[in-house]
Amino acid sequence: MKRPRIGVFKFTSCDGCQLTILNMEDEILDILELFDIAYFREATDKPLRGQFDISIVEGSISTDWQKEDIVDIRERSRHLITIGACATSGGLQALRNWASLSSYKKYVYPSPDIITALSTSTPISDHVYVDYELWGCPINKDALSETLISFLTGKRPGIPRYSLCMECKRHGIPCILVSSGEPCLGPITKAGCGALCTSFGRPCYGCFGPKDDANIESLMRYFQNTGLTHKDCISLLDKMNSYAYRKVRIEGSK
Amino acid sequence: MHTGRCELKAASKIIKVDYLSRVEGEGGLVIEIKDGKTARLRVNIFEAPRFFESFLRGRPYSDVMDFTARICGICPVAYQMSSVHAIEKIFGIEVEKPIRELRRLLYCGEWIESHALHIYLLNGPDFFGIESAWADREYLPIAKKGLTFKKLGNEILTILGGRSVHPVSVRVGGFYKTPGKKAIAALLPDLERAYEESLKEIKWAAGLKFNNNSWDTEYVSLTHQDEYPMNHGSVASNKGLNMPMEKFIESVQEYQVEYSTALHSGIKRDSSVSPYIVGPTSRLNLNHDRLPSEIKNVIKESGISLPITNTQMGIVARSVELAYAFYEAIRIINGYDEPDKPFVDFEPGAGKAVWITEAPRGILIHRYELDDAGHVKSCTIIPPTSQNFGHMEADIYRFLQNNADKSKDFIKKESEKIIRSYDPCISCSVHVVKIEK
Repeated sequence: MKRPRIGVFKFTSCDGCQLTILNMEDEILDILELFDIAYFREATDKPLRGQFDISIVEGSISTDWQKEDIVDIRERSRHLITIGACATSGGLQALRNWASLSSYKKYVYPSPDIITALSTSTPISDHVYVDYELWGCPINKDALSETLISFLTGKRPGIPRYSLCMECKRHGIPCILVSSGEPCLGPITKAGCGALCTSFGRPCYGCFGPKDDANIESLMRYFQNTGLTHKDCISLLDKMNSYAYRKVRIEGSK
Repeated sequence: MHTGRCELKAASKIIKVDYLSRVEGEGGLVIEIKDGKTARLRVNIFEAPRFFESFLRGRPYSDVMDFTARICGICPVAYQMSSVHAIEKIFGIEVEKPIRELRRLLYCGEWIESHALHIYLLNGPDFFGIESAWADREYLPIAKKGLTFKKLGNEILTILGGRSVHPVSVRVGGFYKTPGKKAIAALLPDLERAYEESLKEIKWAAGLKFNNNSWDTEYVSLTHQDEYPMNHGSVASNKGLNMPMEKFIESVQEYQVEYSTALHSGIKRDSSVSPYIVGPTSRLNLNHDRLPSEIKNVIKESGISLPITNTQMGIVARSVELAYAFYEAIRIINGYDEPDKPFVDFEPGAGKAVWITEAPRGILIHRYELDDAGHVKSCTIIPPTSQNFGHMEADIYRFLQNNADKSKDFIKKESEKIIRSYDPCISCSVHVVKIEK
């Protein structure tokens, strides 16, 4: 069988999710037997050429040229998978969606006029059709290998869509929200990290984005009853997945 | 050195690297030789800006470590370390010894993971003329060795921080949770094997073939009287610089050179500004006497003469530091006793502070101003790669003075190698340089 061609692409991001591919130290050489990694700038000099069976896309769309590039990548790809909070939800840099770009630029650059960037940072799915999304900031490497294996075997990847609370219970971690009253995003957040923060005794801060049908409003009301202000609540949602949490919240209130 | 103009006996030509490979982030290179006389070059950054300093404004101090980690997926610990120490300085927090040591261990994990990635997967293939670490069967055993080292670095990060990319355990005052002695001691057998192996790798790296590129330039790193620098020390250079962290940030100035359109960082001295280099070579040159004698002996046996004056030998310095990070991790684990409490109590308050730590790629400067509630009023982040850009271009410029008449392909390949030897992290650096495409 001809090995499926994989392309790895990057838009606006920290490189951490594509690094996950290189962090599969035990599996990477096997993956290279099964797949032809035909484009991956972080690891090889191979130029961009031809069509891909799977394109793995990291990063959000935050400049004009990226809007064009993602259309080109989609046209080259039989399947397009987005990886990480930037690609699936705009990332931390999407916080500028709720601010004015000119005020943002002037705090960073001595000559803000030379900076070309869109006033928004948006997920890939706002621009082209996405076949599958892997959430997380960063993604979980087991989820990535599960997705790649599923591609070969033609099955649906076994990636959880339920909330972090399920994972937390399974790990036998006492509920931080109930027992210590700390504002934990677990009830509205996708599982997938392995209940990391709660196992370190800190509340979930939403790396994996909103779970399906998350009732965000209800959790926000609960937080407000414990003494948090409306602003504090927004600030909890406004992190790596702010775009997705805000969207689900608005949709939920309709 | 920085007139940006010199006689180049070569026909007019433009050499372009559209998209640099085997570096972190998105950048290119343009070299233009005009009329056989002048050269203009620029490391061209088209990585999109992310405006971290803007959206950190108004956020509570407790968000800062989680946010700044997201600047870089390869060195998130560096961002957490520079920011947590700066904030602790503002609040007047002194952490206890086990916490100080655990943070050093966390940094060892990151140095191992990042150095192994660069030595074996990104930079190594250059010395074998191959396009990637898996492009040639003969290189595979070398790549595998690198992956084994890298995995161990990631395991340290995972035990201490939950995961290797954007770990979750660092907080102001200490850690959210500290590991038990048993949990980290389980790493010892693997670390000891890797340390022995990594000592041999210093010889391997020193035996690679380097272009002769020695020059008299300024190497800058932290320096500390008792230890090889990571989280503490003052800023020093081989040109007599030695100052506390908060003074150094005042000495750094952005400037423009004729041959480039990107802003550069340099050190202000009277009326001039000069580029400098940060990273493993600088650290090794300024701190090699703080290395354990076993490693010093291997350096000597491998024929490495210190200080290293060839900027392309970064891979050698990185190999020495890889061995040191294993040595230091073993030392810390052996001496570790879990503290009674993972963090110290404190009162947040207003203030300003600068802190610098040694990211794998060199000094990472953070400055914060907080208000009474401990919310960020303003901040400045200067990553190592943005400090190195000026030097990187000066390095390519030197190369051109002797090689401008060579083929376009040769110039292109060699320039890419020069850039790669700095282990640039463009994702980090982007917010201080001009964006172009």
